Amino acid sequence: MQSTPRPSRSPRLRRGAAPALLGLSLTVVLVACGGTDPEGGGGGAGGAGLTLTGNTDQKAALDPIIAAFEAENPGTTIDVSYAPVDQLQTALRAQIGAGNAPDVYVAWPGNGSAMSTAQLSSAGAMEPLTDQAWVESVPESLRRLLGDGQDTLMWSPGVGVIGVIYNKDIFSEQGITEPTTWPEFLAACEALKAAGVTPLALGNQTPWVTQLINYAIAPSVAFADDPDLATRMLEGEATFSDSGWRDTFQRYLELNERGYFQENPNGTTFEQAISLTAEGEAAMMVQVSTILPQVADAAAGRAEFGMFPLPAADTAEALKIPAGISSGYAVSPDSDNLEEAKAFIEFLGQPENTAAFAEATAIIPFGVDDPSTVEESLQPFVPYIAEDRSVPYMDQEWPNAQVQPAHFAVVQELFAGSTDIDGALAQLDAAYAEGS
Amino acid sequence: MTQRYGLGTLVRELVMVAVAVAFLFPAYVLVALSLKTPSEINEGGLGLPRELYLDNYPQAWLGATLGPALLNSVVITTTSILIIVLVGSLAAYYLSRVHSRLSYGMYILFLLGIVLPFQLALVPLYRLVYEAGLLGSYTSMVLFYVGLQMPFSIFLYTGFLRALPAEYAEAALVDGASQFQSFTRVVFPLLRPITGTVIILNAVAIWNDFLTPLLYLGGSSKETLPVVIYQFVGQYTASWGLVFASVVLATLPILLVFVVLQKYVIRGFASGLKG
Amino acid sequence: MSAVSTAPGRPSPGAPAARSAGSPPGRPRGRARRLSPSVLFALPALAVYLLVIIYPSLSGALFAFTDWSGLGEERSFVGLDNIRRVFTNPQSAGALRNAVLLAVFIVVVQNLVGLLLALGVHRMIKSRFVLRAVFFAPAVVSPVIIAFLWKYLFNPAPTAGINAVLGLVGLDGLQQNWLGDPSVALWAIGATVVWQYAGYSMVIFLAAMEGIPAELEEAAALDGAGLVARFRNVTLPLIAPAITINVMLSTIGGLKLFDQVFAITNGGPGYATEVPSTLIYKEAFVYGRYGYSTAIALVLALLVAAVALVQLRILRSREVAG
Repeated sequence: MQSTPRPSRSPRLRRGAAPALLGLSLTVVLVACGGTDPEGGGGGAGGAGLTLTGNTDQKAALDPIIAAFEAENPGTTIDVSYAPVDQLQTALRAQIGAGNAPDVYVAWPGNGSAMSTAQLSSAGAMEPLTDQAWVESVPESLRRLLGDGQDTLMWSPGVGVIGVIYNKDIFSEQGITEPTTWPEFLAACEALKAAGVTPLALGNQTPWVTQLINYAIAPSVAFADDPDLATRMLEGEATFSDSGWRDTFQRYLELNERGYFQENPNGTTFEQAISLTAEGEAAMMVQVSTILPQVADAAAGRAEFGMFPLPAADTAEALKIPAGISSGYAVSPDSDNLEEAKAFIEFLGQPENTAAFAEATAIIPFGVDDPSTVEESLQPFVPYIAEDRSVPYMDQEWPNAQVQPAHFAVVQELFAGSTDIDGALAQLDAAYAEGS
Repeated sequence: MTQRYGLGTLVRELVMVAVAVAFLFPAYVLVALSLKTPSEINEGGLGLPRELYLDNYPQAWLGATLGPALLNSVVITTTSILIIVLVGSLAAYYLSRVHSRLSYGMYILFLLGIVLPFQLALVPLYRLVYEAGLLGSYTSMVLFYVGLQMPFSIFLYTGFLRALPAEYAEAALVDGASQFQSFTRVVFPLLRPITGTVIILNAVAIWNDFLTPLLYLGGSSKETLPVVIYQFVGQYTASWGLVFASVVLATLPILLVFVVLQKYVIRGFASGLKG
Repeated sequence: MSAVSTAPGRPSPGAPAARSAGSPPGRPRGRARRLSPSVLFALPALAVYLLVIIYPSLSGALFAFTDWSGLGEERSFVGLDNIRRVFTNPQSAGALRNAVLLAVFIVVVQNLVGLLLALGVHRMIKSRFVLRAVFFAPAVVSPVIIAFLWKYLFNPAPTAGINAVLGLVGLDGLQQNWLGDPSVALWAIGATVVWQYAGYSMVIFLAAMEGIPAELEEAAALDGAGLVARFRNVTLPLIAPAITINVMLSTIGGLKLFDQVFAITNGGPGYATEVPSTLIYKEAFVYGRYGYSTAIALVLALLVAAVALVQLRILRSREVAG
């Protein structure tokens, strides 16, 4: 009854009560539904059928590459399923937990989430990819986040950035230019507010949105004088409470106290924030670069949009940006088609495929230092990455999967007024200490 | 409250119609948005579409490949229900007619299933399905739903059967029919109202389930409507028109089943309650 | 008597349990034995149910006493630590509290609305069949789709969604930051559930009301009894079984609520709408504490079973008394 042609994994029943019952119930089902499974049984003569589970956001990027791979490797087919991140995590955790991971699946770099390299590799769920050609193109400093310190375990198309998506038309109407320092940014917000435009749309009802502004501020504030903060925290030498995270939160809340967000950011969803920006009711929103095309789509040509780094530092020279390695793909060591699965990752890693993938998902490929080679909206970010003025997304260096959700929760509590910065930092420290 | 349609009844009717209109407001918003152009949606406003914009529907149908998913949903839902009705009514017949410690214990065991949180079984069941080689098959889903929906179905059937006089079946037995024959020929036809209730309530639960088909069918060619709808929604986050059109398309079939079976829903409950 | 109140086959004290299929032939009850269905009738249902629900649930429950992360083979026995933590950890204790609040809200409001709707569309009025279909219709739609729709309507802007409607009818004062305000969000979710399932309660009430002879109501009316008195003395006692079913179903549904919370707030703002079901999900698949997640599921199952049992006792005794 197996639908996917997987020759070496024939149905095997273990002896015991459960299979016996299964046999009995199967008879019931088979008698009753007699042959409702038209594709049951064999199929796939000779070739390998790979399974791949991907992130819905990457469908447009991955589909053409899969088609090209199948064309180049006749006999090998890839069964893809996509799901939004939440559902993806559930499905993959259940599948891996049961020892039935898809051959190729989406994974996140570093640590800090349930599907991150550190968490998965400690359970032995990732096949080493160290000797593949593309590994060389990943800068040494970032490579550790794609592996366990020894091996490289996942492929990633490159680096994503968080910045300010802004409405160019509103900026020129109001005579505002792209700000490069925190005071300039506040002045721009003040001018927009005075003109009756909401300076910033913020959809904090959607949990993952809550973290973005902190992630954009922290590199210039928390990490400015303390570049090793993440390591120092891991070694127990620093905490959220006694580090630059306090100032980071203060700047985030300052924007709120000055009334630069629309009313009730806590009750506004991510989608509603996009609509606010697309309609021109708000002039800016702080988001990951991959969201820009969605804003432009929703605006349907009524305005032009661009991006610039959130200028969270007091001087332009001190500005650092958040640049996180994008989610990518890993191979399950239990795969029955290990060689084909690794061949697919190798294929993804070919420069032209990685470039196509990166472009389709608004990602900056590793090692790019000429801004003109990437999409226009990403160009302002390239120098920061090339000059090493970037900090990985903070959760990628947190020791467990509890700190990030705790961060979502405390930001919402701060906006609801049910905690203060001291309380928020204490909660984060408590989550950080969990099982680390 | 007299049998005449008087002024009081008229007032009651008008009030209830007004309540229904207010009640339907969210559904109206859903349909109205699915018929608006993207720019009209972005303007906000809850009015009727200025012009009927139908493009969202074919786009949603093709973009989300709803056709094959619809077929999968229909196959899984109907097969599961067929088995639930057959197996469930048969079991309820035993549970309601036999008075023993065994049958009472069994009944309590079934009721326990209404209380258990489904997350408890999620991972072990996944392992079981995998080890039986049934991932990505209709069979895995059908088996799961038959088990999952059995407690409530048995609860409904047993309640109904308790209220049904045993004499009919006994008469048939005396006439020489076997137990099974008397059930299929005499008892089962009498269960029609409650069977209507069982069908509609199970259809709703199975048709709308999301997490299990994602787990067991993800990546196969057998993905059901909710699974592809959520993939589609995830892809077109803020394209409300497209998203709501896909939602309308996924909801229509089950609404249709409900409209056809609706008289049974109340009648089934009614006979179940009278016992 | 109701479907719930008649536990079938419950051996009354003193009555010999002699009608089972296994009793030896030749006993005085031989004819009854031949006439009652064989236990084989129940076996297919039992087999599937044991296989896909009971067996996995039991083997899942064992993880509640381990520290398994959900991945790999590494796990050790931790005794009752996880169970203890369910009650002492502020997040899970808060989730249990939220579930109880939400369940109480849903039980009271959904059944009250359901009852009013049932009284409204019961008998006489010409559009009753259409109205019944309208009120029941949301119950057949996927809860996640309903959640999606309401999330759109809960836009906090005064010119959008529910707030816009409130503004139109002059109720500006009721406009809310529906999902952003921790003191409102839980009730907003509750309202969504009530909207979806009030029609479900209505149908069950209607089913009971169909059984009330019209003459009984008329007689009461002729006696000069007012609306309220008629409801209390005639209708209420006769719909008591429906109340039992409705209260129990909505309690169980309310305590186990998952889809709506997950899709509308996912527990936020902060932890203001976290309930056991969402926490179970997060602990297992997001935080990677599968053992602890199972412990919460176990506590939830016991809570639901206990509450349902107590309710059944109380409501059934009132049915008889009424």
